[in-house]
Amino acid sequence: MLPIYICEDDERIRDAERRWLEKQILIEGFDMEIVLCTGNPEELLDCLAYGQQQGIYFLDVELKGASMNGFLLGEEIRKRDARGFLIYVTAFQELAFETFRYHLEALDYICKQEPEQMYAGLSRCLAVIAERVGREQGGQREYFTVKTLDVIRHIPLEEILYFATSGRTHRIEVHAMRERLDFIGSMRELEERLEPHFIRVHRAYLVRDCQIAGLERKTREILLKNGERIPFSRTMRTRLEGFGYLENAGSAREENM
Amino acid sequence: MSFFQITIANMWEMMTNFIFLLWMSAILFGRIPRRGMKHAVLCVLMGTGMVILLSFLGTVCFRTGIWSGKYGRLGAVAWLYFMLACEALFLWFLYRISFRDSWLGALMVETMYTYGQFLAELYLYFFGKNQYNLAIAEERRSYLFWMLVVGPACLMFCGLVIDKSGVGRIYRKWLEQEEIHKAIIFLLAVYPVIFYVFEMGVGGGRPEVTFLLLPLLMLLVIHIIFIYVGRDWQQKQYIIAQQASMRQQMIYIEKMEKIQSELRKFRHDFQNMMAGMYLQAKEGDLDAVQAYIQEVTGAFDRQAGDQIKLMNQLGNIQVMEVKSLLLEKIIEMQQEEIACVLEVLCPFESTRMRSIDLCRCLGILLDNAMDEVRGKPDGRIYLVISSQNGCTTFRVQNTLYGTVDFQHLGKPGYTTKGDGRGTGLESYREILDKYDFVFSFTAMQDGCFVQEIKIKES
Repeated sequence: MLPIYICEDDERIRDAERRWLEKQILIEGFDMEIVLCTGNPEELLDCLAYGQQQGIYFLDVELKGASMNGFLLGEEIRKRDARGFLIYVTAFQELAFETFRYHLEALDYICKQEPEQMYAGLSRCLAVIAERVGREQGGQREYFTVKTLDVIRHIPLEEILYFATSGRTHRIEVHAMRERLDFIGSMRELEERLEPHFIRVHRAYLVRDCQIAGLERKTREILLKNGERIPFSRTMRTRLEGFGYLENAGSAREENM
Repeated sequence: MSFFQITIANMWEMMTNFIFLLWMSAILFGRIPRRGMKHAVLCVLMGTGMVILLSFLGTVCFRTGIWSGKYGRLGAVAWLYFMLACEALFLWFLYRISFRDSWLGALMVETMYTYGQFLAELYLYFFGKNQYNLAIAEERRSYLFWMLVVGPACLMFCGLVIDKSGVGRIYRKWLEQEEIHKAIIFLLAVYPVIFYVFEMGVGGGRPEVTFLLLPLLMLLVIHIIFIYVGRDWQQKQYIIAQQASMRQQMIYIEKMEKIQSELRKFRHDFQNMMAGMYLQAKEGDLDAVQAYIQEVTGAFDRQAGDQIKLMNQLGNIQVMEVKSLLLEKIIEMQQEEIACVLEVLCPFESTRMRSIDLCRCLGILLDNAMDEVRGKPDGRIYLVISSQNGCTTFRVQNTLYGTVDFQHLGKPGYTTKGDGRGTGLESYREILDKYDFVFSFTAMQDGCFVQEIKIKES
């Protein structure tokens, strides 16, 4: 059950949002529930504990008479609920939303000037969230979390293919199915942190075990499931063969012949 | 002196020479190569090998009289070139730079080395003798003192002066100029020849005169070339910068005039709309009034609001080169009717990345984004520049219609634009690889393709 929180200073809009969301949850049968509906950001923060369960937050930007605006509130929520869904509902189109969206990892922003547009936005957000949550279900999804300067990125572990060192000092590249990024770190630490699902096949490569399709002994390369090739070091050969990749290697060799 | 003794003496000199080379090259190139233990060990081995080889060959040449007598000074000149080639090779291996750059570096260091030698010779001129008889213990002692202490001390002094005077920065700046290159490359390349010609012609075989006059002369000539060509180049750069800024201001004024004329049009429409609305309000038709209000705000946004917003955002970019680039690209997008949103929340004042490189990277990312959404009705490009918390982020995001092959992204020859076009992303990666404080991020997220450059500014 995903909790939904609404923080909006205008009572009429707040009620409109709540009624629409309740209707949508009922119609679509989403596993969500509106927990709190308030105009006071402090009240919202009070009921959030640190390490809070993932929630959905519909926030107004301009909160009249409150001690903080929606963006500061968003930052506070992020500290408590790192993976929650933030959605801004606002009358201002002038503001730099993409910037805030980027820094707060907000899901979307909805314009509340025209009710039809706002309702459509609310429904769209719920659908996106339901789709994402559904995709992640079937066992809690594990993430590889990494900080690059001022942002923290979460990459699903199962999407990571391998880590590789780059030419620059202490720089490591993550190659994932839909992402590529680099950060500062050490291979040894990564290896220790990610054992046993990742294998250090080479001084410069740390590979996800289930992504390996086979070994090619002649060129000393690992064949990944997506067709990519990665070198492996001689010392790793016996260990890799011990993992049972030998059979695949056989078939890979046959293909070669 | 025995063959062995001479070799040892040579080795000492070669060693100081190589240490000096290491130090000076670090100053000239402005960095210390860090490529892991293996590379460092290889470099040390290579350096030691070269020192031993050169000392040995030097002794052989000395003994066989190749440096003097038989071939005149030709042998000595050839030897100097050989040594320079070895040093250049060493630098090339150490820094992995182009051979031209390492050759130039070796020549520069050699010139600097002469200054040290000049100081040492000066010491001999005032406090020592021209010829030492090494058979006499006292003379041998003072010769050894000169060789082991005075020589390195002079080099040390010379190096410190070079270090403190900021020669490295000037040198690196100079490497960027194309014209000045040829003059100094030529001068430096013939330096060994000049050296010995000078020694024979003017110095009359007396080393202290050669060491005194020649470096001063070289210094003068290099200085003149620097000032003459350098200033010329500077002026050209200045003119180019001014032209760019003029062009940019022209575009800016054009935009402003367009906004103004649109505002004038809007004022006219606005009066009509108000009159209409007034009538409807009078009749009590609230729905129609609401529709009208929406129409008015929408019309304003369409006509002038968007432009004003864009100009506000551009105003926050204070790095001229980036501003020019974005203005050009945005106008290009508007002409092609590509929807684009630019957000610059905080003033973007400066960056550690060289603006040429930054502009190239941004250009590549924006071109790719434009190629992807071109001709698509709902395609959109978001460009966010965010400078806060000690870092600057450039985020280019575009609607994605196909899929991106991450496996080949940034590898030689792969292009998102179909066969035989552009190697944009490859050079993008190459540029970023030069910077230790720049991070890149590429992803497919919610139907969008996202590319990010993050620069650590402090």
